[in-house]
Amino acid sequence: MSKTEDAVSIFLREKFGENIREIQALQREKVFIRVDPGVHKEVLGVLLANDEYAGISAITGLDLGNSIELLYHVRSRGKIITIRTTVPKDQPRIGTITDICTGADFHEREVADLLGVTFSGHPSPGRFLLPDTWPDDIIPLRKDAKVSDIVEVPEKNIVAEQAAPASNGERMINVTIGPQHPALIEPEKFSLSVDGEIVKKVVPRLGYVHRGIEKATEQRTYLQNIYLVERICGICNACHASAFCQAVEAIGQTSIPSRAAYLRTIIQELNRLQSHMLLLGHFGYEIGFESLFQYIWRDREPLMNIMEMLTGNRVMASFVTIGGVRRDLKAELIPKIKKDLAYLQKRMVFYRNMFENDGTLALRVKNVGVISKLDAIKLCVVGPVARSSGISMDVRKDEPYAAYAEIPFKIVTYTEGDSWARLMVRVDEITESINIINYALDNLPSGSYRVKVPRTVPVGEAISRVEAPRGELFYYVKSNGSVYPERVKMRTPTFANILAFARIAEGGNIADVPASFASLDPCFSCTDR
Amino acid sequence: MTHLNNQMKWAMSKSPWVLHFNSGACNGCDIEVVALLTPTYDVERFGILLEPSPRHADVLLVTGCVTRQCASRLIRIFEQMPEPKFVVAIGACACSGGVFSGNYTVLSGADKVIPVNMYIPGCPPKPEAIIDGVIKLLDSVKEMKPGVKN
Repeated sequence: MSKTEDAVSIFLREKFGENIREIQALQREKVFIRVDPGVHKEVLGVLLANDEYAGISAITGLDLGNSIELLYHVRSRGKIITIRTTVPKDQPRIGTITDICTGADFHEREVADLLGVTFSGHPSPGRFLLPDTWPDDIIPLRKDAKVSDIVEVPEKNIVAEQAAPASNGERMINVTIGPQHPALIEPEKFSLSVDGEIVKKVVPRLGYVHRGIEKATEQRTYLQNIYLVERICGICNACHASAFCQAVEAIGQTSIPSRAAYLRTIIQELNRLQSHMLLLGHFGYEIGFESLFQYIWRDREPLMNIMEMLTGNRVMASFVTIGGVRRDLKAELIPKIKKDLAYLQKRMVFYRNMFENDGTLALRVKNVGVISKLDAIKLCVVGPVARSSGISMDVRKDEPYAAYAEIPFKIVTYTEGDSWARLMVRVDEITESINIINYALDNLPSGSYRVKVPRTVPVGEAISRVEAPRGELFYYVKSNGSVYPERVKMRTPTFANILAFARIAEGGNIADVPASFASLDPCFSCTDR
Repeated sequence: MTHLNNQMKWAMSKSPWVLHFNSGACNGCDIEVVALLTPTYDVERFGILLEPSPRHADVLLVTGCVTRQCASRLIRIFEQMPEPKFVVAIGACACSGGVFSGNYTVLSGADKVIPVNMYIPGCPPKPEAIIDGVIKLLDSVKEMKPGVKN
């Protein structure tokens, strides 16, 4: 393991000595460090203090039979450093890290809910993704929880769902947004405590779209799982499939042909294009600018046609597979794709001018929902939300995958951190994405687009990250040597960003809630899984 | 289905107001439903209007596999809609649970909790298929069949 002793490992060994039980580097740029349960917080604290931009990427829980293993994945200087610690299964209790890292809040609540681990000292424990009526003795992600055990969960009393009236003696009223609300296309509930026009407190209730996908992956083969993980989110489906396939390829040490890498880049950028267009249009709808919504969605349709020509379906691509991609790009399609992209490029000049200079739009978005750079780091936000607060973070540059190492492009950053900056990041990224696709089409290598891989995957574990339209998408896959994975953990970008919503809504005007919320580009099907 | 007189049938088939409810979908069907309202597909030419409140809606478009947490809300929305009302299940998930069928938080299909008049399969169905389904539903209203299943 001498090659694993990189700067971080040496630094941690010097600082903690014997407390670091083991250091492993299973993949490039990924270090796994085993520590005892009490020490994890100190090590994490040192890691977070060591890098100004470090943040928690995910917390994975694994059921090992007699014990539960917790993996704290820290993102630092373009690397993922994983702190691994084990707690006994009969008494799964560990100290919270929310006091040193605010962004870990929801990660811990998820592990507590799905694996029954108690994080002592957590500020707001309780049901997170599972329904309130879920029986305490069924812990879904434990290996001994049989899906057949989970038959009837009593229907929730509808009256109990109503927001409790404010009882603090102040002039506060509770406003509940969701689960069915015109401003949310998806079901999720936000209870806002409002004093006059000002939002004082936001309590999100997630889990309306929780479909138990992490458990379902354990009952499906790797090949079946590609189609399952694609359906986590219809908008960024190719990114989910790519991240999952990358992780499986890393365990099996498969390298994909360079044509496949380019085709994966093209499909992911098409995902990004249609996702950003969708958001910009949806945002217009949220602020009552309906013609903007209609315009942008009209210009988005050619992208859907490209997706259909390339993959056979408008939305669900089913394009990426383990070992490459499932379809080749026909040469006669290239001029057509380029023509449509050129049209979009032309339209983007118009939209950019409008987003930048329209006075009415500016009144709704400038200085609304500001996330400062410091807050963005503390809340561990990712993707366009982080980039609009001045953090230059992009997995495509930090840890190039697919063909991104060979394709020139810029990371778009803004420093304002308000709704306007979040929109402008996306407007500019559309132009960058068009350039990436054009470059990839011009330099598309010839050769095969897929290699054959065995159905079984060797024992091992791997982490993979891709830059989905909404930010860093994180996958952890553990294999037990069979055709079924032992554990698949996904941390979606919207899960990391949802914590920021409470921060930007609190103290703001209630009329700005839908607009500032939409500017985060929430996607609850990703968040809840 | 309640009895409709001729004026009601005519009004209903010419100007159905639809309510969209996502009961745990992956957004694939939802973005296709939203795409219907935009210039390329433009369902307003059939008088179809997206309506945010269940109390004003005639047709409920359900997407998603119906999670346990959403189920009571789906029933409540259905009950809030005035008669006559129709339910269209859009996508494989709303029809039968689709790829999520059998998962621990999933009830697998809108017809497990509310009566469904029309099923539109597909993952996701193309906008043309959704338009076709809704138009067939409207035709069935005109002819007062008890609801068709395709």
